[in-house]
Parts: sequence; structure tokens; C-alpha cells
Amino acid sequence: MLLVIIFTIFAAITIISAGMVAFSQNIVYSAFSLLFTFFGIAGLYVLLAADFLAATQLLIYVGGILVLLLFGVMLTHKIQEVNLSNESMRLAPAAIVVLAFLGLLSIAIYRTQWPTVPVPELTPTTARIGTLFMTDYLLPFEIASLVLLTALVGAVFIARGRVKK
Amino acid sequence: MNLNWTAILPEIFITLTALGVLGIDLFYTRYQKDKTLNAIVTLSGMGIAFLLLPFLSAKTQIFTSLFVLDPLAIFFKMVFLISGSMTALISINYLKMEGFDLGEYYGVLLFSILGMMVMASANDFILIYLGLELMTVSFYVLSGFFKTDLRSNEAALKYLILGGFASALFLYGISLLYGVTGSTEISYIAGYLTEQTRTGADSVAGVTSAVLSHPLLSLSLIMLLAGLCFKVAAVPFHMWTPDVYEGAPTSVTAFMSVGPKAAGFVVMLRVLLVALGALEKQWMVILAVISILTMTLGNIVAIAQQNVKRMLAYSSIAHAGYILLGIVASARVLTAGSASVVFYILSYAFMNLGAFTVLLALRKEDKQTGLMVPAMDLEDFSGLSKRDPLTAFLMLIFMFSLTGIPPTAGFVGKFYLFMSAVDANLVWLAVIGVINSAISAYYYLRILVYIYMKEPKVVQSVDNSSSLWVALYVMALATLLIGILPNLLFNVARASVVSLF
Repeated sequence: MLLVIIFTIFAAITIISAGMVAFSQNIVYSAFSLLFTFFGIAGLYVLLAADFLAATQLLIYVGGILVLLLFGVMLTHKIQEVNLSNESMRLAPAAIVVLAFLGLLSIAIYRTQWPTVPVPELTPTTARIGTLFMTDYLLPFEIASLVLLTALVGAVFIARGRVKK
Repeated sequence: MNLNWTAILPEIFITLTALGVLGIDLFYTRYQKDKTLNAIVTLSGMGIAFLLLPFLSAKTQIFTSLFVLDPLAIFFKMVFLISGSMTALISINYLKMEGFDLGEYYGVLLFSILGMMVMASANDFILIYLGLELMTVSFYVLSGFFKTDLRSNEAALKYLILGGFASALFLYGISLLYGVTGSTEISYIAGYLTEQTRTGADSVAGVTSAVLSHPLLSLSLIMLLAGLCFKVAAVPFHMWTPDVYEGAPTSVTAFMSVGPKAAGFVVMLRVLLVALGALEKQWMVILAVISILTMTLGNIVAIAQQNVKRMLAYSSIAHAGYILLGIVASARVLTAGSASVVFYILSYAFMNLGAFTVLLALRKEDKQTGLMVPAMDLEDFSGLSKRDPLTAFLMLIFMFSLTGIPPTAGFVGKFYLFMSAVDANLVWLAVIGVINSAISAYYYLRILVYIYMKEPKVVQSVDNSSSLWVALYVMALATLLIGILPNLLFNVARASVVSLF
């Protein structure tokens, strides 16, 4: 019962702050709301006994990416006065599609007999994750590193000034 | 842990080549005038990987069956390496002319091919997703490669935002499938679902089991399909295609219309025919509708285009529709259907790359500046046969093949596709396909009318660099040879899919 209450709190934090990220008119508010989204998700990971994942979520997303994002927002000149050239928002069709999809998902989730496991005990998972990354999941691990390398090369290429001829 | 490392030797080789190409820029750049060396290293790397492939033992599984090397994977890796090396060949002079002769191009190109190769071999949704991301991230960069060109920027941004959305849908589909089956491994999911079908049939005749009628399973199927249909540019997930294809550098567009499409289809074959084979009744209906919409919309909108690059973009949407038709057929006739899909993808790779290469080679004089700029409009093709009969004739071959006129690869490919639909008792689908081919003849042959029957309106020139012409001859010859001797290749295609089941 306690778990359900804690879960509801974390889920509510995540969803409400995610809504604020999407709907806030001020981009600084959006960026700060994102902090709570990441925090709520980290809490959900803890509930699932995924301690390593929760720690990396906090370290990388909150500590790294979000701080970078805030710097980007703060340092960009006049970021709050961006003129959108395309003003067609199409709120009504978007709302219909989103609500229909939400309804569909909720029905499907409630009707499904989920294969469940008992609540796992809180044992450290880091060592097991590390072993798996170096054995069974070595290939996905390496491919993920190449994805990051490609993104890095591409980002440097695009951000770099015009090449002298 | 005992590993059979040889199975991923081609991938390792491509990775090392990509790092080497980036390394050349880092250490050697002051000694070289242009980036020909990068291109040569890229081509030889791909060549060696290609030559390695036939010697590897097929039906190897490594990393606890995360990664499989079966004949299907080998066949598709060859398609990727061929189309990738053609792209590298046609890019060399094009990049110089456009003023973007940079080494990163080849490095990122190699990474995108690596992503596709991983997708072809992946037997696990995690690996499929990572391969997909590696490929897509590379194409975000490549489509925005002409970074001072506003339309190239627009292409990259559009592809990035919509591609991210599609990847998210695909991931959501994977997570739901994992929730239902408890695994991300394709062969495990296949076994689990088949077993559920069997136990369901045992208990009450004619009633499928609880798991198979899960609404969640259908939902995850739809999401996986949405993600893949985005990559192969099928309606209704085609919105990005014309703009991205038009804005991206022509060499990138050429590769984009072949490589990611083929990679998307090989994943589709594995996911639909193997992992979700038990759900074939569901996905058959969905794919049949998507296939008809894709063919019809692609062909009808292509008629209205005056810009040849945009027209070829819509034509590539239509061709995705034909291939989907083959996948629908393979729900009923497994081998014949999927073999025709595999065969058509290779034929399509040659003819479509060829058509884009002619477009890339043709340049016209800009009336205001007097500079030679890329020719894009239908008008720019007028009278090409008088100025350059050889290029005109090659374009004729590619256009005939895209339409499906014998003796070209396109004709045989379409023949096998429609035949498999007939075999699968889907005559109406084949009829719709044939009607669509007839519609497509209008806009393909219209280019030939401009080339052969009109007077030149602008000053044209054709890129005469030897690398581009080597690629052009290879593609034209392959298009003709496949059309004349289809049996040889069809047997290879058939052998490659038999291993799937």
C-alpha cells in the first residue's frame, strides 16, 4: 500500500511537470519543469529496484543534460521573443488525436493480463549490469558508443564555422 | 566466453575504415589538396568487407543469439555495401563542385552503412533499435551536409524532428511487446507467440488464446509498423519524404532512397514474418491498406511535380508501396513472397540510384550568374538527347526500369511481386499494383519526352568525372543484366529467405 502511494506521488510529479514542459509559454519555466520530470522518473526507477539506473538518471540527465540545456536557454539572446513563422496550431485535431490515443492505450493497458513478478528486493544491480555489458550485451554497448561518436562528429561538423578554401 | 568473432568481421572492418577516414582528416589533411584519399579508403574498406561476406559461415549466432549471420543478412549487407560504394563514387566530384569536399562525409556515410548492416543481422529489438539510430543519426548529418544551403538545413531539421518521433513510437512498441512476451529477442518472441497459438487452439477449437487477442499486442504491432513505415517512407508516414529528399544533397538523397529503405524492409521481414508471424492475420490487413495508399498517393502526386528530384521522391514512395505488396503476399506464400521482396529491393537499388545519378550529373547554366548549377526541373532535361546521347540513353534505361518495361530489372521485379500476390490469392491487390504501374508510366515517360522530343532550352553540361561514370555504367549494366537473366539472382534471393523459416 505504501508502495502504491509512493508510486502515485512520483507518477504525478512526472506527468504534471511533463505537461508544464509542453504547455508553458516561457521556455525557462519549461526547462526547469523538465528537472522535475527527470526527478520523478528517477524515483520510479528506485521503486523498481533499479538503483544504478536511478543514479545515472540523476547524474546524467539532471546533472549534465539539464544544466547544459539551462545554459543554452540563458545564454541565447532573446530566446523568449522568437517569432514563429508558422502560426497554424491546429489545436482541435491534435487534441482529438491525442485523446483518442490516450483512450486506446488506457483500454489496452487495463484489459491486459500483465505477466507480473513480485516486488524485487533492493539489492545493488551495478555489478550485474557491468558484467552483462562486458559479456552478453557487449555488441549493443559498442554500437551505442558508435551512435554517440557519430552524433558528436555530426554536431562538431554542423557547429563549426565555414571551412576556408 | 567463446565467441565466433569472424561473424562480425565485416562490421569491425567498416568501423575501422570509418575511424581511419576521420583519422586522415586529423593527421594528414595539410598534405592533401582534396579528399580523394578519403574516398579511396572508404571504397576499399567497403570492397574488402564485401569480399569477406561470402566466406563467412552462414547461420552463425553470436552474443547469445543477439546477432545472427544468415543468408538473408549476408544478401542485404551486400546490397548496402554496393549502394554505399556507388554513393561514394558519385559523391567525389559532386562534393567538389558544390564546395563541400569534406572528409566527414565519408566517415558518416560509413557509419550509416554500419547501422544498416547491424539492422540486417539483429535478432533482438535492442540491437535493431541501436542499428536504426546509428543509421538515422548519420542521415541527420548527411541530409544537412550543405550547411550554407537553407533547404539542406530544412531537410536535416525536418528529418531530425520527425525521425525522433518515429523512433520514439518504435521504442514504445518494443516496450509494449516486452511487457506482453517478457523478451526482446525475436526468436524467443516467435516461439512464445506460436506456442500460445497452439495451446489456445487445443483448449477451444477456433478460439485464439488470451495472449494473442491481447489488445496490447495489436497496439505494439501498430507502433512497430509506424516506426518502420516512417523509415521506408510509406503513407501515412511519408510527409517528410519530398521535402527532405529535395533539400538534401543529391548524392545523399540517392542513398537515402535506397539504403534506409532496404534496411527498413529487412527489419520488417524479420519482425513480421518471424517474430510476429502468429499475428499475420492482423498485420496483413494493415499492410495491405498501407500498400495501396502508398502506391496510389505516390504515383498520383508524382504526376503533378515539375521538379525532377521531387518527382523521384514521390516515385520512391510508390515503390515502397510495391514492396509492401510483396510483404503482404508473403503472409500467405512465405518463400515466394519474401523472395520477390528481396529481389525487388536489389533491382530497385540499382535503378533508383541510377536515376538519381543522372540527375546529379546534369548541370545547367544559371541565366543570372552564368554559373553551372544543378539541374532540377523537367525543363532542364529538354533536348538532352541532342547534346549528350549517351546520358540520355542511360536515363532511358533507368526510366524504363522504374516503369517496369522489359528487358529491365524493374519489369522482372514487378513481375515476381505481382505473381506472388496472385499466388497468395490476392488478385485484386496485384490488379491495383498493375494499374499503379500504368499511372507511373505517365511521369517516367514524360521525362523521356522532354529528353528526346524537345529542343534544348538551357545550356546543359554533364559531369564527366570518371568515378561517376564507372558507377553509372555499373548501375545501367546491372539493371539490364538482372532484366535479361533474372533466374540466377532470383535463386539467390530465394535461398536467402529460406533460412528465415
